[in-house]
Amino acid sequence: MFSFIGRSIVQKIITLFFVSVVSFLIIHLAPGEPSQVDPMNPKFTPEMVERFQKEFHLDKPLYVQYLYFYRDLFTGKIVSWKDSQSVLTKIWERFLNSLPLFIVGTILTWTLSFPVGIRSAIFRGGIYDRSATFVSYLLISIPGFFFAYILIILVVTTLHVPVIGMETFGLGASSWGTTLMDRIWHLLIPSVLGATGGIAVLSRYVRSQMLEVEGQDYVRTAKAKGLPPEQVHYKHALRNALLPFVTMFGLILPGLIGGSVIIESIFSWPGMGRMAYEAILARDYPVILTVNFVAAVLVLVGTFISDLLYLVVDPRIRL
Amino acid sequence: MTIKRILILVPTLVILFLLQSYLWVPTYEEQTKGNPNRLHEYITASTGDATSLNPIISSNSTSSQIESLVFDSLLDRDEELRFRGRLATSWEISEEAYFYLNPHAVIHHAMTSDAGKTDAEGIVRILREARKRVTDLDPVLKATLNRIKKIMIIPPEKVVTTTHYKPAKEEKEEKEIEVIIQAPARIKLSLTEVDQDLFINLSKILGNDYFASFDGVQYLKTDPLVDKKRLAAYAKEYLPAIEHNPVIIFHLRPGVRFHDGHIFDAGDVRFTYEAIMDPKNLSPRTADYEPIKEVEVLDSLTVRIVYKRLYSPALGTWGMGILPEHILNQEALKKEAERLGKDPDKFSMRQSEFDRHPMGCGPFVFKEWKSDQFIDLDRFEDYWEGSPHYKRYVMRIIPDLLTQEMEFYAGTLDSYQVQPHQVERLKKDPRFQSFSGTSFGYTYIGYNMRRAPFNDVRVRRALGMAIDVNKIIDYVLYNQGERITGPFPKQTDYYDHKVQPLPYDPKGALDLLKEAGWLRNEEGWLEKDGKRLEFTLITNSGNDIRKAILAIAQDGWKQIGVNVRTDILEWSVFIQERVHKLDFDALILGWVMGIDPDLYQIWYSNQTHPYQLNFVGFENREADDLIIKIRQEYDFEKQVEFCHRLHKIIAREQPYTFLYVGKWTAVLDKRIVIKDFDEDGVMLYKKIKPTKTGDYTFHFNRWLKIPEMPQLLD
Repeated sequence: MFSFIGRSIVQKIITLFFVSVVSFLIIHLAPGEPSQVDPMNPKFTPEMVERFQKEFHLDKPLYVQYLYFYRDLFTGKIVSWKDSQSVLTKIWERFLNSLPLFIVGTILTWTLSFPVGIRSAIFRGGIYDRSATFVSYLLISIPGFFFAYILIILVVTTLHVPVIGMETFGLGASSWGTTLMDRIWHLLIPSVLGATGGIAVLSRYVRSQMLEVEGQDYVRTAKAKGLPPEQVHYKHALRNALLPFVTMFGLILPGLIGGSVIIESIFSWPGMGRMAYEAILARDYPVILTVNFVAAVLVLVGTFISDLLYLVVDPRIRL
Repeated sequence: MTIKRILILVPTLVILFLLQSYLWVPTYEEQTKGNPNRLHEYITASTGDATSLNPIISSNSTSSQIESLVFDSLLDRDEELRFRGRLATSWEISEEAYFYLNPHAVIHHAMTSDAGKTDAEGIVRILREARKRVTDLDPVLKATLNRIKKIMIIPPEKVVTTTHYKPAKEEKEEKEIEVIIQAPARIKLSLTEVDQDLFINLSKILGNDYFASFDGVQYLKTDPLVDKKRLAAYAKEYLPAIEHNPVIIFHLRPGVRFHDGHIFDAGDVRFTYEAIMDPKNLSPRTADYEPIKEVEVLDSLTVRIVYKRLYSPALGTWGMGILPEHILNQEALKKEAERLGKDPDKFSMRQSEFDRHPMGCGPFVFKEWKSDQFIDLDRFEDYWEGSPHYKRYVMRIIPDLLTQEMEFYAGTLDSYQVQPHQVERLKKDPRFQSFSGTSFGYTYIGYNMRRAPFNDVRVRRALGMAIDVNKIIDYVLYNQGERITGPFPKQTDYYDHKVQPLPYDPKGALDLLKEAGWLRNEEGWLEKDGKRLEFTLITNSGNDIRKAILAIAQDGWKQIGVNVRTDILEWSVFIQERVHKLDFDALILGWVMGIDPDLYQIWYSNQTHPYQLNFVGFENREADDLIIKIRQEYDFEKQVEFCHRLHKIIAREQPYTFLYVGKWTAVLDKRIVIKDFDEDGVMLYKKIKPTKTGDYTFHFNRWLKIPEMPQLLD
């Protein structure tokens, strides 16, 4: 057990190193320049380009830039090129903004998907299953921004309440209760939108997993014993169908930092995804690389957690 | 079953909890009509956040919009685009010119008594005499001489300076060498106005090559290793035969205060200049201020700025926000660095908190900035021109245009930048007032004139004539554009309205091509010497209008028998790989212009190398000459005349097919009006009207929102 943890950590650190090298190379080899350097501006002289490149160490060889970047990252001194703000502070602020969306979205997805998928599996081929399948594929194939627009227009025109942003703009001084509820209201549409897509996909997985398990002998045995169907499906079958979801659950962790660019942009939500996207457009390398690095760490932590969870849920696995 | 119940109950509860919050949220009505303060707030939106609110550092539009409210500048442009004093009440522009005595030059002018070689006193005498003899001189020379206010002799002097020298290209080591300059006497002329032809005119008296034959090298002594070429460069640097030093003296407005109550004075102006030039601050605006030789504080309300050379855009550069010296000087920054626990030597304005908490002497005081959410400003009660009517100004960051539009309808935004396809619809809406005007930018097709067949003006003209630009304006731009024929902003006087746009005339185009040797073959393709007329037209992705033009141009050209391939590239690939490396046939691109008519980087013939902006490779002697003259001319009328001539040359040569300049449209709540007073001091409301140049926010400080729909006369 402990040797497994030790080995796994060493492996993950090596992977992380390669990830850091590759992501650094990809970002630096991609065309484009930091938005501070504007080559199409007549007022931007070559001397100025040179000075900016020197300031950002872009005149140094790549491996030196790599070392500079990770030195600054690990000493916490890394600053954004765009606004000279500390990158870690920025990410932390945005992380806190994205967190509520993530939590609500995750709760909804990882609860509702199961009953929806299981019911589909039980009544396979029935009307419920067909309509659920239809709706799922509809939700998967229609782009999220379209739903977002429709929902915004509906809510704004019928209910006359603001939906965009993290809070009602210009709410001013009001009691903490109102402020809190106002924030929760603003959470509703973006998180439900985020969750619908997730439910559509995840319920499909649940359905196919359940179908596989329902055909097993022990499910037939359980049914033959005369157990109530609910218990058969939700206890005997579901437990065994859960194994692949353990892996998936570990992988939702990086979603924390990815956020959703489209939803955040449409709803003017000052979250992680939007910051990362804008950093990419502005070629703000410190922000892009830091987000990338944190995401890589989260992916590795996620897989590590799912490995451990495997140990817990499947007694057959011994490490 | 518990598991099933939990799996259904938990999300239901979560959603119910989220839904009940609806009961607590204020409706739009409560925010707008139900909120008495709303009338005193102006809320606008921007798609992108600001980067920095320090005017010497930032370079994006949201930043500059906020900066223009928080900071005030020495001057700006009025409704007619002429300069108008803000923090400066007035200014004078004069010139100091210098030239070295050329002891070897022989002067033989009929009207001088001192013929032959002469010393400094002799030159002064000649000039003074010439000034007195006004009768028989040609008028241009007379005008120049009349501008000379004072003539002074600077006696010969010896200066020793050190410079870095790299003996050979292969060697990396730089050597420090001493240069001894034994300068001859120099004559200083003080002029009442800037005169770029001063020395050309003076050479009518002193001899044609008096200035040209001055050889600075003979007055230099340095390390014998330095080669001749380098020596000549030093001579040019340390002993320029002639020198123009334009001078601007600004008289500042007394009693103006920064938001913290500190009095604004000349020191702040000098400090702003120094801050821009300080390499530590990494300002993107250094190019504008590099020609400055020195900024001198004459007294607390007078600044004297001397320029190294003729640079007519100079005055316009003082539209720059003035920074408060007492907040940002060395000591203050050092203290801040210590407080934040950072290295004071590396600490610059870029790291300072001022970047996100700016303070100037503009009409609005900075209050709060929440990244990617909003920037909040309060009015400045002590603003020198009287405080604005609005109490609060808010810029919300809303990246999505549709959500912006929704918020505008709901009344939580006061203005909305209309998309071309919405203009017609929103114009009719009785709730709004709409403004529209010409933008400062144009879209064009540029041809790589280094490559055949684009080196032939007939081909370029024919290609232009084969595209129906009016159709582009009608159908792609929903009529929100105008034709443009040359490189200047259409609403300025520099633009020559007499130049006619190319007609849409495919037949005429074919005639021109025939003249150039291109004939249609049996298949209908144009051919010359067995080679088809074919090339690739490229543009950048992400711009739907350019994409549409690409197709329209391709189709128009195909109809006259030109085989065009098209390609759309990602912006940075497009710029770095194709434009910068001059690897293209023809491209669609646009320029956003400033008001100043300086076009050096885009059209001058020495800017045609890779990574420069004259990427089409336009070279024209006459145009070069005019570009330099425009850049050096301080007289507005003359500048306009030069610009019109340049405009005609460029329109004749057709290095670009000039397509259109876009129109912007903004809508505002109709209840926003201008509050003004008539001669008798009676208050009245006026309708907001855009200025001639299309700036509807020009009188923003006098805007006001009234509770009821106004009944206004125009």
